[in-house]
Amino acid sequence: MEIISPVHGKMIYEEKEIIYFEKGIPGFDELKKYIIKEVDEESPFKIMQSIENAELGFIIISPFEIKKDYEIKLSNEIIEALNIQNQKDVLLYSIVKLDSKIENITANLKAPLVININSKKGQQYILDKEDYNIREKVFNN
Amino acid sequence: MLVITRKKGESILIGDNIEISISKIEEGSVKLAINAPREMTILRKELYEEVEHENKEAVKMKLNIDVLKKLGKK
Repeated sequence: MEIISPVHGKMIYEEKEIIYFEKGIPGFDELKKYIIKEVDEESPFKIMQSIENAELGFIIISPFEIKKDYEIKLSNEIIEALNIQNQKDVLLYSIVKLDSKIENITANLKAPLVININSKKGQQYILDKEDYNIREKVFNN
Repeated sequence: MLVITRKKGESILIGDNIEISISKIEEGSVKLAINAPREMTILRKELYEEVEHENKEAVKMKLNIDVLKKLGKK
């Protein structure tokens, strides 16, 4: 299967790669299906591409790349919604906001994408936690 | 949209299993007590809107893979 992104070109994927966001993503509620592709082996960034709208793709990064001790507690609501049975199945990603100045590139640590790689379900989880920012600088030095 | 007036101590029932009661009324703010199934998300609206806004901002700048590869390499 393939999707042609106007930004990244042709992206080939298999059905089993598709992550299903039942609630969509805030701001894009209607779009539920995404694939995640690496930029390359060395880059911390990945691309989360909608397979329903070729124009929509997010740049994402693991929050642990920015805060090594990043820690969240999942509510019963999201555990049930994503059928999470094992902590090891959970992947976290933060949506990155790019900027022409590298020091202004930020990631949303306050609302991580929570993905269960077993059930292939995902949800953007909004934390009420005070110490994580919606706009956390990615490059700190 | 249902608009309803409640006094302190009074409640509203939504569906079979949600109850919202007015816990405290002060000038400028109201304290609500919400009883809902644990699997329901309850959020301050402005927080949701802020995330929604940030998501929409995040997709505005489009850099392709070749440029992204150079980002973050020291």
